[in-house]
Amino acid sequence: MSGYLTGVLVVLAFNVMAAYAVYLPLAAGQLNLGIAGFMAIGAYASAFLTNEYAWPMWAAIPVGSALAGLTGLVIGIPVLRTHGIYLAMATFALGQVISAIFLNLEVVGGAAGYPVSDYVGPNGVFLAAAGVVVLMLYLSRTRFALYLTAVKSDPTVADLLGVSVRGIQVAAFALGAAVAGFGGAFYAHHYNFVEAQHFNVLLSVFTVLYVLFGGTQTVWGPLVGAAFFTLAPELLRASDQWRYALFAIFIIVFMAIRPEGLVTTSLLRFRRRKNTDGAAAASSEAA
Amino acid sequence: MTAALSIQGLTKSFAGVRAIRDLSFEVPKGVTTALIGPNGAGKTTVFNLVSGVYGVDAGTITVNGVDVTHMPSRKRIGTGIARSFQNIRLMAHLTVLENMLVGQHVRNASLGALLTPYRLFPNHRWKVEAREALAESGLEAWADETVGALPYGVRKRIDLVRATLAGASLLMLDEPAAGLNPSETNALREHLKVLMGKGITLLVVEHDMHFVNSICQNVVVLNFGEKIAEGPLSKVRQDQKVREAYIGSEEA
Amino acid sequence: MLAQQIVNGLMLGAIYMLMAVAFTLAIGVLNFLNFSLPGLFMLGGMLAYGFITLGFPVIFAFAAALAAAALVSLLVERFAYRPMQGGDPEVPLVSSLGFLVLLENLMLIYFGSDQQAFPALVPDLNLRFGGLVIGIAQLGSLVLSVLLVLWLSWFLSSTSTGRCIRTVAESRDTAVLMGIDTGRLVPLLFIASALLAAIAGLLFAVNYQQVSPFMGEGVGFKGVAAMIVGGMGSIWGAVLGGLLIGLAEVLSITFIGADVVNITVYGLLLLILIVRPQGLIGRPATREKL
Repeated sequence: MSGYLTGVLVVLAFNVMAAYAVYLPLAAGQLNLGIAGFMAIGAYASAFLTNEYAWPMWAAIPVGSALAGLTGLVIGIPVLRTHGIYLAMATFALGQVISAIFLNLEVVGGAAGYPVSDYVGPNGVFLAAAGVVVLMLYLSRTRFALYLTAVKSDPTVADLLGVSVRGIQVAAFALGAAVAGFGGAFYAHHYNFVEAQHFNVLLSVFTVLYVLFGGTQTVWGPLVGAAFFTLAPELLRASDQWRYALFAIFIIVFMAIRPEGLVTTSLLRFRRRKNTDGAAAASSEAA
Repeated sequence: MTAALSIQGLTKSFAGVRAIRDLSFEVPKGVTTALIGPNGAGKTTVFNLVSGVYGVDAGTITVNGVDVTHMPSRKRIGTGIARSFQNIRLMAHLTVLENMLVGQHVRNASLGALLTPYRLFPNHRWKVEAREALAESGLEAWADETVGALPYGVRKRIDLVRATLAGASLLMLDEPAAGLNPSETNALREHLKVLMGKGITLLVVEHDMHFVNSICQNVVVLNFGEKIAEGPLSKVRQDQKVREAYIGSEEA
Repeated sequence: MLAQQIVNGLMLGAIYMLMAVAFTLAIGVLNFLNFSLPGLFMLGGMLAYGFITLGFPVIFAFAAALAAAALVSLLVERFAYRPMQGGDPEVPLVSSLGFLVLLENLMLIYFGSDQQAFPALVPDLNLRFGGLVIGIAQLGSLVLSVLLVLWLSWFLSSTSTGRCIRTVAESRDTAVLMGIDTGRLVPLLFIASALLAAIAGLLFAVNYQQVSPFMGEGVGFKGVAAMIVGGMGSIWGAVLGGLLIGLAEVLSITFIGADVVNITVYGLLLLILIVRPQGLIGRPATREKL
């Protein structure tokens, strides 16, 4: 594999992890605009533990992820009392505060950034992203995923049917934060450097952008969205300075035509039905 | 024997306006009861208070002997009470079968159940049970459809089946026959009779008096949030206050 | 020293205030968090700069920049807002972000990513009150912002169009039932919020004498923060929030350091959202009916 291609695929792997971190709460109807903050927690925590306490990465990365998840849990409980745009803005503010705190933390280099000694190669990153995808696929087969949609669709009725709406929301939020922290920790160890400025609003916002582009109705949406957003600008590289402008136009037009995103439940169901119809036709021919 | 539902001195105001005042009645186990009254009498408000959508201002609500007056709305289904909704409230992005699975939640509320990958098993017992419940109402053909696009009558019955899947012993049905055509109404009546045969107690808000007459043994009449009469429909009909309450409204 | 910083904070706050009012019009009436507004803010400053460097008279440059912002806002209405009615609330937000990215990159292609020096249009005169120094441009901006907001508040409460807008804000359905032509009002609101944002951009350029394709982000996001701190949908909330955020920013730069601005400003926002989500001046949401 060429160095260029590997580089692009590594970026893709990070974007996929970030996408699922946004997807989990979004599937329950909560827009998290502060995902970069949780990535920063995972990145700095894992970097700090390996650098200063010589922890092995296999211990430091999960701890970084867990710290991000814990922050999501502790902050999610009060913040998730708000809904809709208020929640989006609360998470937005949260992301800003977290990265600003790291910017001012001299113990991890402050504004100058923080070099990280332990290195994870591309294969490690790919494996991490694959692990996140498998976890998400697993969750999508459970009642948990069912309740995410139920809570988004009609929280009042979900509550009357006995589903703990707050519990599901906080769990989705905290789990999303843990996934973000997990990706952030790998980011730190792959690039061997973290700086607070990287984990800014635009990182959060772009992640949300490609999750919505892919579609939140199915578990495949974020994967497709992340892949498209990573690879399409690379393909547009020929028209270098125009590529982001063209890309933005594409997003605007696409969302106007297909606001539910690229991959939807009806799309998947249609495909499945075509397959089973085909199978039925084949078996009747055989008979 | 404790009543399925016992309401004592129930009072509720919205922005200073009394919606329910000092309302008391009981629904004995196995006695199908109708809650009737002119529009705006407070029937749906009673349902919302019993299910916990609103908190009460005064009074007590007891379900199967358990005081639920101050119980969080989420926990009340655990005392054996479930409800349907006047303007059908199904999760539009889920399939019919998935709506049924949400209905089963209260009987499968453990962490293990939450994380069981049931979708990997085509014949998981939850799906089988949900399909059987749908089949009893002749709805199995719709099982894999997304709810949003289905016809009104079908969604209405799905809402009812979902309520039954909670395994409740008391079902509150908010205008189950509204908007149904005569054959759908007959199917609904048969369905409710099957439920009654299983020992489920029904409390029904309904405007169709023929329908009420055909299934209910007892009727509670509300007007302006107060109980004005109670008893068998034939007797309540003769009541002077009931007649006055209905004068000028189309249900008379 | 403190009094001087308070004055500077209020000046910056006036810019945030205009942005917050622009956001609050879109949120309060249309329930649309319009993230293209920071782009329109930038367009106001950048295009005015562009037209001035091309040699146009200043007044013409300003008018052209405002007109362009209004026009772009109509495109936002057509492509980001109108097709999304009845869908998930996040989607128009994403499309409007698409417009922000588009506008930034178009300016980037034409002007490059560097900060450009905006010409000093107002004589560098200062008024002195005791120890206080107040620039003419600063004072003019503050007065203009306040007048604009006063006028808008009068317009909404005292004209028939204003009353129509408030009816739409209360309930879209009621407005339609009452025969209010929302098809005409909605584009009008988009133009109004675009003009507010672009005027804020112009004032920023005149005051701080610098423009760049990305000048809208920081100011725009703080405008959103100001709107929420004050209370979404309330004009006076936006005024209060804008001034508070401006003060918080200037005072924390002066007394603690530039790097902590985001902690104080967004920390304030977060605190408000947790303690009083409806904002300082705002009504709490009620639980839905079944």
